[in-house]
Amino acid sequence: MSKQGVEVSKKMELKVHSLGRVEGDLDVRVAVEDGVVVDAWTEATMFRGFEIILKGKDPQAGLIVTPRICGICGGSHLTKAVYALDTAWHTEVPPNATLIRNVAQAAETIQSIPRWFYALFAIGLTHQNYASSDLYDEVVRRWAPFEGEHYAIGVTVSSKPVEIYAIFGGQWPHSSFMVPGGVVSAPTLSDITRSISILEHYRETWLEKILLGCSVERWLENKTWSDVLNWLDERAAHRNSDLGLFIRYSMDIGLDKYGSGPGRYLAAGSFPHPQKYRFPTIDGRNAALISRSGVYDGKTFHDFDQERIREDHTHSFFRGSGSLHPFVGVTDPIDPVEGQKEGKYTFAKAPRYEVPGMGAVSLEAGPLARQVIAGRPGAEEWQDYDPLFLNIIQEIGPSVMVRVLARLHEAAKYYLRMRDWLKQINLNEKFYIKPRELPEGRGFGATEAARGALMDWLQIKDGKIDNYQVITPTAWNIGPRDGQGQRGPIETAMIGVPVRNPEDPVELAHIAQSYDSCLVCTVHAYDAKSHRELAKYEVVKM
Amino acid sequence: MANVLWMHGGACNGNTQSFLNAEEPTVIDLVTDFGINILYHHSLSMEFGEQVRHVFERILDGEVPLDIFVVEGTVIQGPNGTGRYDMLLDRPKKDWIWEFAHKAQYVVAVGDCACWGGVPATSPNPSESIGLQYQKGSHGGFLGADFRSKAGLPVINIPGCPSHPDWVTQILVAIATGRAEDVLLDELQRPQTFFKTFTQTGCTRVQYFEWKEPVEEFGQGTRKGCLFYEQGCRGPMTHSPCNRILWNRQSSKTRAGMPCIGCTEPQFPFFDLAPGTVFKTQKIFGSIPKEVPKDSDPLSYSVTAALARAAAPKWAREDMFVP
Ligand code: SF4
Ligand code: SF4
Repeated sequence: MSKQGVEVSKKMELKVHSLGRVEGDLDVRVAVEDGVVVDAWTEATMFRGFEIILKGKDPQAGLIVTPRICGICGGSHLTKAVYALDTAWHTEVPPNATLIRNVAQAAETIQSIPRWFYALFAIGLTHQNYASSDLYDEVVRRWAPFEGEHYAIGVTVSSKPVEIYAIFGGQWPHSSFMVPGGVVSAPTLSDITRSISILEHYRETWLEKILLGCSVERWLENKTWSDVLNWLDERAAHRNSDLGLFIRYSMDIGLDKYGSGPGRYLAAGSFPHPQKYRFPTIDGRNAALISRSGVYDGKTFHDFDQERIREDHTHSFFRGSGSLHPFVGVTDPIDPVEGQKEGKYTFAKAPRYEVPGMGAVSLEAGPLARQVIAGRPGAEEWQDYDPLFLNIIQEIGPSVMVRVLARLHEAAKYYLRMRDWLKQINLNEKFYIKPRELPEGRGFGATEAARGALMDWLQIKDGKIDNYQVITPTAWNIGPRDGQGQRGPIETAMIGVPVRNPEDPVELAHIAQSYDSCLVCTVHAYDAKSHRELAKYEVVKM
Repeated sequence: MANVLWMHGGACNGNTQSFLNAEEPTVIDLVTDFGINILYHHSLSMEFGEQVRHVFERILDGEVPLDIFVVEGTVIQGPNGTGRYDMLLDRPKKDWIWEFAHKAQYVVAVGDCACWGGVPATSPNPSESIGLQYQKGSHGGFLGADFRSKAGLPVINIPGCPSHPDWVTQILVAIATGRAEDVLLDELQRPQTFFKTFTQTGCTRVQYFEWKEPVEEFGQGTRKGCLFYEQGCRGPMTHSPCNRILWNRQSSKTRAGMPCIGCTEPQFPFFDLAPGTVFKTQKIFGSIPKEVPKDSDPLSYSVTAALARAAAPKWAREDMFVP
């Protein structure tokens, strides 16, 4: 490039179209200098307006509408929507119902892990950019789309865990079987037995045999990064498992070197304890969670407090600018063409969290965030305490590789939890306690979708929805700059990334995919030299 | 061999997720055994953006024949008909959809959104969403009532929120293997083979329905009773094979105890989710169901219902599905 002239070669702006996505489309613009990304803007290009649809509707409408925000995380949407109603109506939720909600939520997540890894993430690793790696042929043999040996196994096995969801909820995706006061179903013995055997199938066919190359228990013994490296050396089966191959290949092609993100994390927490959250309240939630909530600012852990959240829309295609708590949040879209005149560039809002002593900052959500929070000392004996990923980010720092590892790690953890919850269901006890439908109320519900913190704020007035605001993991991660000019997490993660081939910046794709912010799949870039009128390969004034 | 282009508009990706749950055949089987050639699918394709543009252009230039154009999601027309609420490659997606629909041999709408507008088109329809050939129940939609694909068919509607993977794979295979003529459509352009029966057909609660024994409250759901009387089950009025072709090979909403919310019908979500309509049977004079099985009327229905209830055998009041 330098042959073309000093100025042009050094700085350029790439517009990167991300075509493969799910809930709202994403384009990314990056500024590249000397082959390294120096600035980035994430642009969500689709608007459907679910929060507007919910206004004035039946208080329970969120149970039907919010799962349809995202068919990948629909069960997670249902989970937090029902807890928002539980808190607003002051229900009692029988322990059986909590167990079933937990099983269902975890089933959606362990379904998502192989489906995301093989169908959406790993196919990118077969990109010919990496052909010089010694491991490349093996990667292609296993993970190539449709033809890869493990691609087929992984994609097929992903339909199994949601069979458990269907046993309790009738179908996946898009059931609304969780209702305030419990669940609609009341399973029989055969439902439990069948669910356990489906889980075992998942473990045998994929989790242990293909992913881990060892027992779930052996993998979970790893508490530090050096444990993981020792595990890798311990047996050929570990090295050759998909997890082992992924780690070795990542270090070979540099996925451990970039995509670190803001280094600050948020987990809304999930899986209430069946006894401790019988009477759901907003304030009592944190203390009742098995997978804890929390915020880690890079040095210190903080308790999670929904009051500290604001959504900034200075750079989003919504009227005005400002930063509101979701209870008073407004969703008032404008034509992107108008918005661009005011420096707006996306349909995502920018969620921010007021960290004590730091001000309102962006936070990364997702499996890595959850697993970092899981490393916070002081867990009760019934809560999840797992120091592995806190250690990993302290030892080698976050990266694309580490984010993916955190996701895969959860398959082992949730498998064990699900077995445990299924065992605890008492077939002769209640699954539902009819609540009083209060005409006024305010609710907050949250959970962890496979891809991160997911939360609803609900205001009921005169027996109908007065305001409904949802913050998705996607918003946390792909949110744009805020009024202070602070970048969103993916924008941050893009910075410093080496772009080997500006016409095919597969590195940017890996980053977006590692967040899996419902922007699954392919990212595309084009430039002015090769691609006609859409091009933006140009000197950027910086 | 059939070339398939799958595009999503105002969608949640639920139909793709459902499609990936397919088992007989699996999505992989479709590609490796049934001659389905996926030109591009937003979640499954290896192609990168510029390669995708290339795929698109080759189709539009006529270089690559487009046999089946599948759309998941609504056509987003907002704001003010510009389509700028949903852009693809810097162009309103609605414009891409229009062009591909007019290039394809067959156009298949997968899921409620593509068929009738679905949840995004619920009032006040902030994204100005519309179905391919319907807007809710009214014929026309984005492509217009007269639209016919190259093979001479209107849009084939496979509704459901989401639609069941088998409904989709079987129609794709039928078209790919030259059996498109066998796909008989009903008056809403849905394949009759799936949508002639009702959700209620095969529901495990049908005996309770006959004897008019209700599920009194949720949580008894799986044990006994019918969800029609109190919980607003639309099973008798909804055309779907949900209890014949089970979901995820295991169950269905009504089997698990959740009322059918009628997601295969154009009016879904019913009553626009107005207060008091979610999971509640709408009634006349506080007791007679406003909507009754197709081609019946509330009054004569109620008379038979009272008789049935009086004649109900003892077991109809007991749990049938015991733990
Ligand atoms: S539960 Fe619904 S589908 Fe089943 S018998 Fe009753 S009304 Fe019909
Ligand atoms: S049971 Fe009713 S609501 Fe559920 S999928 Fe079938 S048609 Fe749709």
